[in-house]
Amino acid sequence: MLFWQMAWRNVWRYRRRSLLTVLTISLGLAFNILMRGIGDGFHEQMVDNSVRAGIGHIEIHRAGYQRDPALLKTLPDLPLLERVAPATPHLIGCSFRVLGDGLASTAENSSGVRIIGIVPETERTVTTINRAVIAGQFLDEQMSRPVLIGERLAQSLGAGLHDKIVLVVQAADGSMGAQLFRVAGIFRSGSPDLDRGVVYLLRKDAQSLFSLGDGVTEAALLLDSSESVAAAQRYLASRLAGAPVEILPWYVVEPFLRQFIQLDDAFFYIIVLILFFVISVGILNTVMMSVFERVREFGVMMALGAKPRQVVRLVIQESGALALLGVALGATLGSAATILIAYTGLDLSHYAAGASALGITTTVIRPELTSQNVIVSCLSVMLVVLLVALYPAIKAARLRPVEAIRHI
Amino acid sequence: MPQIELIHVSKTYRDHVSVRALSEVSLTLEKADFAASVGPSGSGKTTLLNLVGAIDTPDSGIIRIAGLEITATPASRLAEFRLRHIGFVFQSFNLFPVLSVIENLAFVPALQGMPKAEREARAERLLAEVGMGALRDKRPDELSGGQQQRVAVLRAILPEPDLVLADEPTANLDSENAALLLDMMGRLNRERGVTFLFSTHDPAVMSRARRLIRLRDGRIISDEVREP
Repeated sequence: MLFWQMAWRNVWRYRRRSLLTVLTISLGLAFNILMRGIGDGFHEQMVDNSVRAGIGHIEIHRAGYQRDPALLKTLPDLPLLERVAPATPHLIGCSFRVLGDGLASTAENSSGVRIIGIVPETERTVTTINRAVIAGQFLDEQMSRPVLIGERLAQSLGAGLHDKIVLVVQAADGSMGAQLFRVAGIFRSGSPDLDRGVVYLLRKDAQSLFSLGDGVTEAALLLDSSESVAAAQRYLASRLAGAPVEILPWYVVEPFLRQFIQLDDAFFYIIVLILFFVISVGILNTVMMSVFERVREFGVMMALGAKPRQVVRLVIQESGALALLGVALGATLGSAATILIAYTGLDLSHYAAGASALGITTTVIRPELTSQNVIVSCLSVMLVVLLVALYPAIKAARLRPVEAIRHI
Repeated sequence: MPQIELIHVSKTYRDHVSVRALSEVSLTLEKADFAASVGPSGSGKTTLLNLVGAIDTPDSGIIRIAGLEITATPASRLAEFRLRHIGFVFQSFNLFPVLSVIENLAFVPALQGMPKAEREARAERLLAEVGMGALRDKRPDELSGGQQQRVAVLRAILPEPDLVLADEPTANLDSENAALLLDMMGRLNRERGVTFLFSTHDPAVMSRARRLIRLRDGRIISDEVREP
């Protein structure tokens, strides 16, 4: 207790220096928490955009479809899947789709497209494409052969609302399928791939176009958060055990996205390392000066019988007190800044063009504050401070009392 | 058994030039001695105190303090030995500036592991004994030089060591404060049987010492025992 008292009072003995050190620690920590929060928010948003653009958090296909997508690889045992999938834990929505490729043509032009056959009612629960319609309307089962196309595709085909589009495909039976559709709506998702290369139509029309009968290519499941993927995957694996299906989380379906997030994390850790290095130099300077100015005091302590480990303890406790103050202030500042920016949003619209290429269709980033982020950041800073203080502490403990007492 | 025993102790400082600080010094002090080592600067007084206090080591010779041969004791155990057996009073007080008077007094007992209530009670009793009870919560920078040095002596005495080593304890004091300090040390010596060894230039200290050890060029040139 006496050592804690001494440590605490020694911290305030050099008030200005200690306050500057506390400020360095706290600003470094606050920056760390905020940047981590922005990074997490950015990543979560990218994932959210991607999953809501169509892939969902989990996709279920016939086994082998992901490696070699083929029209004939439709989902087996659809009744079982239609019973199991809607009961998945953390589920928000589930859509059974038909996927295929083909050629979209108008009188003016033609373009290779991805054809997605959907049930509008269930698709709304999984994607946000219905909210991206900028002209006309979203698909409706009551319409006759409607299609929904992206703005850029509409431009390249020279197609407007209610215009005719012919979709030409190779059907499942090997024949050529060609059918006439009408543009019911035009969407702008912000994703270049979607906007110029996807045609949505009713699932029943797609099944007819591809001669699939009642066949369905995939089930896409949207969950309450990407944190729930593992639990949902476990549930599906247990309920569909034995069925020849593959249950794929979003990061397997979109490996590029995960790699980008990992790369971004790596850059963040490099920045954190540099930041910690700067904090370390500040702390080292403070503790070294504090030790140097009190050489005689340490000499007296040891002459009176203090053991080297007690001297180490005192210096470490002083640094610990500085670190605790810095961490308390930094965690408060960092959390407050993260909450504030999460509330106001970080507007990246100036960089929207670049962001959309990365799958970011919403240009306002909202940082995420997680207890894990705050706790890990605080503990890391504490650890760094204590490790850095070890060197001057050991130096103080190695002083020879007879020389230290003579120190001026 | 002598309280302090030095047998052919030598010490040379090797910095830019070699300086022989003590040369073949042999000396014994008994329990409750009140001794002063005197001599000109560079005669070896402080070196003698440092060696006896186990904060420095001789090049040769044997030193026994309270029965322990400290020259054969590993450095790792010497801190514990100092803690239990030796009290120090330094020329420039060297109180801990962040601790109050009572906390300074209780510092060594705290290192010894004495419970807080007990060490503070002992410190308060001692302060009261010497009429300094009112200063218990003052910080060193709120005390005069004389008061600080008296607190330093009390700090050395409180753990009841076998031996108190005082290096020029009156050097920074006026004659009135020096007399007060010497009165206090004399009383502690008589009443508690604590052995004192001073290094000093101060005639006031010399006049009170019951034994005067005169040093010159690292050698004892006289060792005079005087009647109280």
